[in-house]
Amino acid sequence: MMQRKLLVILENKPGALARVVGLFHQRGYNIESLHVDPVKDVENYAEIENSLNLKLKENEVSRLLITTTVSDNLLRQILRQINKLIDVLIAKEEI
Amino acid sequence: MKLAGNDMLIKSLVDEGVEYLFGYPGGAALHIYDAIFNQKELQHILVRHEQGATHAADGYARATGKPGVVLVTSGPGATNAITGIATAFMDSIPMVVLSGQVASHLIGTDAFQETDMIGISRPIVKHSFSIESAEEIPKVIKEAFYIATSGRPGPVVIDIPKDTTAPDKLFEYSPPELVKIRSYNPPVEPDSEQIARAVSEILKAKKPVIYAGGGAINSNASKELFELNELLNFPVTNTLMGLGVYPAKNKRFMGMLGMHGTYQSNMAMHNADLIIAIGARFDDRITNTPDLFAPNAKIIHFDVDQSSVSKIIEANIAVFGQVKNSLIELNKQLKDKIDSIDSTLIQPWLDQIDEWTSLHGLNHELYKENSDEKKIIPQSVVQHVYQITDGNAFVTSDVGQHQMFAAQYYHFNEPRKWINSGGLGTMGFGLPAAMGVKLAFPKEEVVCITGEGSIQMCIQELSTCSQYDLPIKIININNEALGMVKQWQDMSYGGRHSESTYQSSLPNFIELVESYGHIGFKIEKNSDLRGILDEAFSIKDKLVFVDVYVDPDEHVYPMLVAPNGSLKDMWIDKDKKV
Repeated sequence: MMQRKLLVILENKPGALARVVGLFHQRGYNIESLHVDPVKDVENYAEIENSLNLKLKENEVSRLLITTTVSDNLLRQILRQINKLIDVLIAKEEI
Repeated sequence: MKLAGNDMLIKSLVDEGVEYLFGYPGGAALHIYDAIFNQKELQHILVRHEQGATHAADGYARATGKPGVVLVTSGPGATNAITGIATAFMDSIPMVVLSGQVASHLIGTDAFQETDMIGISRPIVKHSFSIESAEEIPKVIKEAFYIATSGRPGPVVIDIPKDTTAPDKLFEYSPPELVKIRSYNPPVEPDSEQIARAVSEILKAKKPVIYAGGGAINSNASKELFELNELLNFPVTNTLMGLGVYPAKNKRFMGMLGMHGTYQSNMAMHNADLIIAIGARFDDRITNTPDLFAPNAKIIHFDVDQSSVSKIIEANIAVFGQVKNSLIELNKQLKDKIDSIDSTLIQPWLDQIDEWTSLHGLNHELYKENSDEKKIIPQSVVQHVYQITDGNAFVTSDVGQHQMFAAQYYHFNEPRKWINSGGLGTMGFGLPAAMGVKLAFPKEEVVCITGEGSIQMCIQELSTCSQYDLPIKIININNEALGMVKQWQDMSYGGRHSESTYQSSLPNFIELVESYGHIGFKIEKNSDLRGILDEAFSIKDKLVFVDVYVDPDEHVYPMLVAPNGSLKDMWIDKDKKV
């Protein structure tokens, strides 16, 4: 078990944040800290743009930074569950 | 073409190919109901409770593979639909639920019949939408159907504020031709290198098992699964949700596995050196204690949902993609290596499984008992129904002992014929689900195998069956108790039957169904069983309810020993544990 930092990029739509936060409770995961803001610095996300083959526009997506303490296996499961949410573009561990 | 919001909504549904809309009107949905009144392309089925609407749509979806569609009003209409949405979610059934909502300007004011449907349904939907303006209705409907039916299917809720369906404002109706959601890309085609790795494990296996579940049915992969096993001749087990995806009559079929699975299926899984999981998710009714599950088996897991793989049991080889497409690729690669398939490698294993089957396999000739000195046992009722219908009926069930007996003793040779609430275990599912199946397949025999506990949870739908002339057969396996609860109380609580009996308060079911215009039969003796069932099934134009009084002391076996048991630890009988 160790503390991890997760980065989630999701559509900036009503209700999208609640789906991610709700998932943690539903699946019995714990959130230690949470930060959310609309992404203005899209130039810092070229890697994500390339991997998803799309162009981000300012304020079009939100960035979630979550810290949680979990095992490797559970981390993988959490990321898969978050990635499954329809409004989520990508969820990954921020190293 | 210019249309108002309510007409756009109905037009969008028709364009999606919707035939039936299962619903119940109310204030917030009245504009939509007015649009339904003015058209003839889709038929609305008026249920008697919104839970019935969701289960009927669900039954329709399971039997046809097409999404079931529900329309309810706000507040209590929406909350009553919740159990049915959760049922569909747990079993990955495509469904679109339209819920009326109070007008936009009233949202958040605790208005009459206002409830936060998006919030309440969030954990039990694949996705949900809240309509913000009438213009977006065609696009949202199209996206909702796409999400509900693609990838791992599931229910989608669309919450529709009343003002967005107002008849007095017109909009250009122009639905998008194609749906593309940039943040949603479920896998379709498998990684052929992963398949190649699977092939090399398959060719080495000495004790393989194919374990196929509901995902294989959702992906319409039964033909590919059959072709796979024509090549391999491996033993096959199905989950409760997967029954029918591999023909039960095939000599390699071992029956269901898990909590009430057959002895040979559970023993084969426990002792396997290779488990090929196909659209199955290793849930707790299957694995028993995960740490003790199949200790020597490598796992190849085929699934469309990445989060279902290595969630409970770590997979050695994961193949993501539509199961059908993955099996097509697997079969292709196996055919290329057909000379490397050594059928003698698994012969001792097949012999071992035959031995297990003859040792503690299910007795499929219980129906031969016709002495009135013994009470009717529920298993024999299912066996008679199986024979009378030649195994060709659609069978819906509720939840409890009768459900397990139906799963064990009705042999399904085709997918989509066995319709039950596997994941959520929803009592009240069977009757409304049977309505949905009967509407989809009016010429087919549709049998609801239920119990006197479950049937009372949605019995109001007998009235819907009268209104729409739905001649289904209801076989009420009546043990005058909540049988599965009572079985657990017998086995784990010293026989203390806390609140699992009704103390002679059951209705006279025959008079009850007759009051709705249906036909009822009561059976209490073994010597009457076949004759009355034959008579009941000879009636084709009326709903027939057969109330069969069975031995209240009967238990479902095998039953896994829990907690802390493995798949080889089973109760085989009331006093025999292996």
